[in-house]
Amino acid sequence: MAEPVRSAPKLTIRGVEKTFVNRQGSVSALGPIDVDVLDGEFVCFVGPSGCGKTTLLNIVAGLEEPEAGEVVFEGKPIRGPGPDRIVLFQELGLFPWMTVLGNVEFGLRLRGVGRRARRRTAIHYLQMVHLTGFQGSYVHELSGGMKQRVALARALAMDPIMLLMDEPFGALDAQTRDMLHQELQEICSRTRKTILFVTHNVREAACLADRIITLTRRPGRIKREFVVGIPRPRQIEDPDVGHLAAQVREELRDEIEAVLEEERRRAKER
Amino acid sequence: MPRNVRRAAFFLAVLGAWQATHLWGPWPSYLLPGPVQVADALWYGFADGTFLIGIGVSLRRLLLGYSFSLFFGTLIGVVLGRVRWVDETVGSLMLGLQTLPSICWLPLAIIWFGLNEKAIQFVVVMGAILAIAIHTSDGVKNIPPIYVRAGRNLGARGWRLLVGVILPAAPPSVLTGAKLGWSFAWRSLMAAELLFVSLGLGQLLMVGRELNDIAQVMAVMLVIIALGLIVDNFVFGRLERRMRRVWGLASALPGRPRGRRA
Repeated sequence: MAEPVRSAPKLTIRGVEKTFVNRQGSVSALGPIDVDVLDGEFVCFVGPSGCGKTTLLNIVAGLEEPEAGEVVFEGKPIRGPGPDRIVLFQELGLFPWMTVLGNVEFGLRLRGVGRRARRRTAIHYLQMVHLTGFQGSYVHELSGGMKQRVALARALAMDPIMLLMDEPFGALDAQTRDMLHQELQEICSRTRKTILFVTHNVREAACLADRIITLTRRPGRIKREFVVGIPRPRQIEDPDVGHLAAQVREELRDEIEAVLEEERRRAKER
Repeated sequence: MPRNVRRAAFFLAVLGAWQATHLWGPWPSYLLPGPVQVADALWYGFADGTFLIGIGVSLRRLLLGYSFSLFFGTLIGVVLGRVRWVDETVGSLMLGLQTLPSICWLPLAIIWFGLNEKAIQFVVVMGAILAIAIHTSDGVKNIPPIYVRAGRNLGARGWRLLVGVILPAAPPSVLTGAKLGWSFAWRSLMAAELLFVSLGLGQLLMVGRELNDIAQVMAVMLVIIALGLIVDNFVFGRLERRMRRVWGLASALPGRPRGRRA
């Protein structure tokens, strides 16, 4: 992807913090975090499990509210969810009572797009993710990778300014994941969406991102940023990708070890 | 179809045993008419129109009371499922009231409304609406939150979120409620019709009793069974099969597999 135009950031995350309340009291889950994301940029957040990556995405989506700080999107603070920021959930959230076509058309119908235009758009995006011919299928009739692609088509059909992807490929087998990485890169270069992508797979991050941001263990803070200069299209097995992934993994090693250590301790206490 | 053969043989045997008891049993034939007399009563009942009127009157009451219950019961159920303080207050009241067999409302209904249509409708509604509301609220409470989040994310809120996501996401329980509500409504209606003069099927049963016409009583009972079976199979059975197919539950349950044509 070409170097994004240097202008005012598309998205500004300032001092965002989140705490959760559980039996032991309140637990600081995230932040404070500051990030600027440029227009058309593909930013990957990588961190140990439980570091608040998903929470951060949900805050940007407007599905959760931060305790402190604010998120400014296109110059306006975020209040609630909006179709300009579509999430690809880890659990997908495809509606099982609708066909593939119904799922992709759902958001368009809410937006008041007419029947014909709706259908045209949906079919266009289903073609883009290579799912032509499955319009009439129900979700349970599809494989994991196909469901993933339906969710992607549903998100793209909304023509959001920003895509928020929460470990979307985590549950897939390696071959399907590689294929979807290729498709996603292709779609990115074609549609120029701004993307926030959360993963714990450093290779995936190195393969896809313009910028990788590593997070510390809970409460997740920014540890380091890597600007990825590897030319596209990239393959997951490219040596450059592997090299960068090793660097990122090294950066995360002590965080992940600390998380494991804490889990072991908690298991012993119990 | 050995299953159907088996079933047919069984029912033939039941008919035979019935006929045999009628002919040679210890009871006089006016107390236990045989299948032939009952079939005759059935035929005459339909031929002179009394059964048709009875069916019409009863079904009309049922449909009115049931559709009212379905609409408001679903509405109440959704509110119970989504608003915690309503659930904690109104919800517990409804659970309590649900233990009351709905026919127990009849004395009150007669005093409040008089011996008329309204009293019967009231009993039918009280029978159905609580079951529908309680099951709908269960269904709504158990929706995986991801569907609501996905719906909000795609721009659904308020009424659209309710109709577009929350209700369709809850169908197994909502359908159970609708089905249960139907059978409660049906039972309450028959009980209410038995208890006062009312033109419906229940009254036909009582007329049969007053005339000591047991063949007619049995014929009306057969009609009532047939109506119940028809609604179960053609309305709820169909809805259930569709739901299983759409949600991908088909293979786990018995019944004819219905493949989708590609």
